Amino acid sequence: MSKKPTAGPALHKVIMVGSGGVGKSALTLQFMYDEFVEDYEPTKADSYRKKVVLDGEEVQIDILDTAGQEDYAAIRDNYFRSGEGFLCVFSITDDESFQATQEFREQILRVKNDESIPFLLVGNKCDLNGIRRVPLAECQQRAQQWQVPYVETSAKTRENVDKVFFDLMREIRSRKTEDSKATSGRAKDRCKKRRLKCTHL
Amino acid sequence: MGDLIKEFDNPNFSVERYTKQLVKECVGGPDLQKKKKEIQAYSDKTSATLKRSVYANYMQFIETAKEISNLESEMTQLSLLLHEQHNILASLTDGAAAKTGEDNDKEFHNEEEAENMHATRAVKEMVQGFNGNLEGKTFLCEGALTELDSNDYRPVQRVFFFLFNDVLIVCKVKHDKRLEFISEYDPKKIAVINIKDLNGVKNAINIITPDGSKIYQSITPAGKTEWIEQFEVAFRWDQQQKKPKKGPAPQPPKPNNSNNLTVDISPTDSQSAVVRKEENMAPDWIHSATDEIETFIAQRHFEDAESLIKRCKDFLQQSKTFVGVVEIEEKVMQLERQLADVLLQELSKCHARNLEVALRSTRRCLQILVNMGKARQASGTLLKVCSIGLRTAQKEARKNNAKISELFFCDLAQVACAFLLSFESQPACVSALVVWCNAELQYFASQLKKHYLTKGSHLESIAKCVEGVRKPCAKLTEIGLDLSYHLEGLLRADLEDLINESRLRLLETVGRTDDPWQPFNLHTKSNLKRLLLELEVLGIDMRPHTTGDTWINLTQSTLNFTRHYLQLTNHCAYLAKSEALSKSCQVLLRDLIIAQHSLKPDANLSVDPNFVAKNKQFLCEELLPIAISIFRRISGSNPDILRTIGIIRQQQAAPIPKKRSVYQTDVF
Ligand SMILES: Nc1nc2c(ncn2[C@@H]2O[C@H](COP(=O)(O)OP(=O)(O)OP(=O)(O)O)[C@@H](O)[C@H]2O)c(=O)[nH]1
Ligand SMILES: [Mg+2]
Repeated sequence: MSKKPTAGPALHKVIMVGSGGVGKSALTLQFMYDEFVEDYEPTKADSYRKKVVLDGEEVQIDILDTAGQEDYAAIRDNYFRSGEGFLCVFSITDDESFQATQEFREQILRVKNDESIPFLLVGNKCDLNGIRRVPLAECQQRAQQWQVPYVETSAKTRENVDKVFFDLMREIRSRKTEDSKATSGRAKDRCKKRRLKCTHL
Repeated sequence: MGDLIKEFDNPNFSVERYTKQLVKECVGGPDLQKKKKEIQAYSDKTSATLKRSVYANYMQFIETAKEISNLESEMTQLSLLLHEQHNILASLTDGAAAKTGEDNDKEFHNEEEAENMHATRAVKEMVQGFNGNLEGKTFLCEGALTELDSNDYRPVQRVFFFLFNDVLIVCKVKHDKRLEFISEYDPKKIAVINIKDLNGVKNAINIITPDGSKIYQSITPAGKTEWIEQFEVAFRWDQQQKKPKKGPAPQPPKPNNSNNLTVDISPTDSQSAVVRKEENMAPDWIHSATDEIETFIAQRHFEDAESLIKRCKDFLQQSKTFVGVVEIEEKVMQLERQLADVLLQELSKCHARNLEVALRSTRRCLQILVNMGKARQASGTLLKVCSIGLRTAQKEARKNNAKISELFFCDLAQVACAFLLSFESQPACVSALVVWCNAELQYFASQLKKHYLTKGSHLESIAKCVEGVRKPCAKLTEIGLDLSYHLEGLLRADLEDLINESRLRLLETVGRTDDPWQPFNLHTKSNLKRLLLELEVLGIDMRPHTTGDTWINLTQSTLNFTRHYLQLTNHCAYLAKSEALSKSCQVLLRDLIIAQHSLKPDANLSVDPNFVAKNKQFLCEELLPIAISIFRRISGSNPDILRTIGIIRQQQAAPIPKKRSVYQTDVF
């Protein structure tokens, strides 16, 4: 899907993915409005937009908060296509949600057909470290396997909330400048090359 | 040529075959040339006939075409309106049905069937360019949305969606409110995103279809929620057997319950929302109404803006106790003023070359402004527009030597009719119309004086001009506009001056030519006959004065004067229809006949005094009474001044006969 070039600030499109109840909406709302929402209300698909200053440059972030619930799985493809970067969230108190990240990762790669799409693995609810179910080492290992950063956050205490969004935007931004350097003809090769590189590793 | 026509008219006529045949038949070049000429002649004749028949019915043709297209768009609008009405009714009965309970499931089912059928028919009838099959589908939702630009969120176009269980039909709402099919999608391939925050754009959803992602804006938050829900119903249609879930139609505002509030309220408020539940909350729709009104105004959907403002005002009148009432009320008032300003501005731009066109284009704005209770402002602006149209038309007509007076009063009548149509029930406006008419009349009169009633104009052209103004002016009384008195007042002083001026000029010409004071010999019978006829038409029978075959027993000067005098009497009498001018007209006629009467033969000339007396007698006893009766007949009033001449003459007439003093008397 191609967009007309905007005259205004650059727009970075972020998609929140992850199982239901892991805190995608909580993270989004904390980032957007500095608020923590205690109630759980399953999301269908909500989008938000906000102007932020990224390394001195004004940019816009577009956050698509998707549904974690299983019964929405079929519709995800449609949403994923528009994303330029993904925050793949699980709860460190819920092992099942951690296992599910595998599926999300695969679906994203399938839809985007790009192994190096900007992507962060996010372990949320780190304020609940006391009832942790997913060992830190396991999380780090998976991130390394995917060649993506791993960050632990808390939507409740706001720990690392800005960090995950800004880190992802930086990745998206650098991907865009890289893309604009490459001619359109080479763009496809690049994807293939990446693929190759990844399978080598 | 008849054969040719028959041949060409044949539906199986083939150019190629015909040409081949022709070439075969013709012997040599000249023969072909001849044939060519024949065909050429036929072609010319046909196109001439065509042209003629088009011209003959040209105006009718254009008018009819216009009417047809007007009717057409009105019909579609009507059907659209009816459809909307039906939906409102349907949603009302839905609400009623829901209240009565679930025991009437069957009825509910039937109703659903009916709704499906109706929606199917609506799509078929209203959507141009859609011919898909909707048989057996379940209708879920329909409504208008505004498509926004994905970059700057400005409205791109109005669209209309029909959502069925397995198809979404997207139409464009054209300016004439007709629907034009754009495309259809399978709801399973559609992703809907609830746009919660988009730089202040409210009630927006993002719909991702295989053709791309687009932002649409709903009029109300309830409408937006409804669409999101119904898209999901369509999406899951096959998974879950249909839940008979019929949401309310997007429009009718209902006080929202707190459950709905927490869904749509911005996250910042979600905690306090629970607390506020007990307070008297305004319905959601009124919160977003101001934004919608603004959008409507920007998109020039003035009617929608007006009706929404009205709805807000009605609502505010009923309940003034909810949170934020003051702000909303203020905002609505401000928007109302804004809408009125925009409409007035639109209205003021309506002037066109043609007054009728201008009037037609004002209708829409006028209607809304009147509905808004801004009749006074609207009428003022309308009249300004009309002034421009009227004056331009006058200028054009003057350039083309057309009848400006008729045009002026026709235009005036047209404006008055259009005006009364819109403002009949507003007495303040009607008096504004009267003031305006008088002002325009004044302007018209000044133009008339400047261009037609100029110094040195002949009495004849003055009379014609004035008559040409009076007649259409009097016609206006038919629509209740009596401007005659005002008009006469405006012209009176100038006309009086002109009449006086004419009088002096005419007096100078009396007796200019040397008169031999001999009977007038016309030399031939036919000459005499012609003169007699001419004078008879003017109203005088001269046969008693003929002698011999070619003579008239009066001087040529008397006869010339008679002819001229009767013509002048005519003109003067027409002018004297206005009583105010009667006096100067009569003075003119009086002075003229006195001047003629007092002509004396040259002292060196040997003249029969009886013949001189006879001429004078003719003037007094025949010409003057006839002039008086003509004057009375045309002007409709008694020419008292002219009649006193007769009295004086008769008093003095007794001693006069045969005395030389007759032609020495200056005053009868
Ligand atoms: N203690 C703690 N609770 C959290 C945190 N993040 C979210 N929650 C709670 O977890 C519940 C679910 O959070 P949501 O953000 O709604 O979950 P979600 O991922 O958006 O779920 P879906 O919309 O169904 O996909 C809520 O009750 C939150 O208050 C966190 O960092 N710490
Ligand atoms: Mg959520």
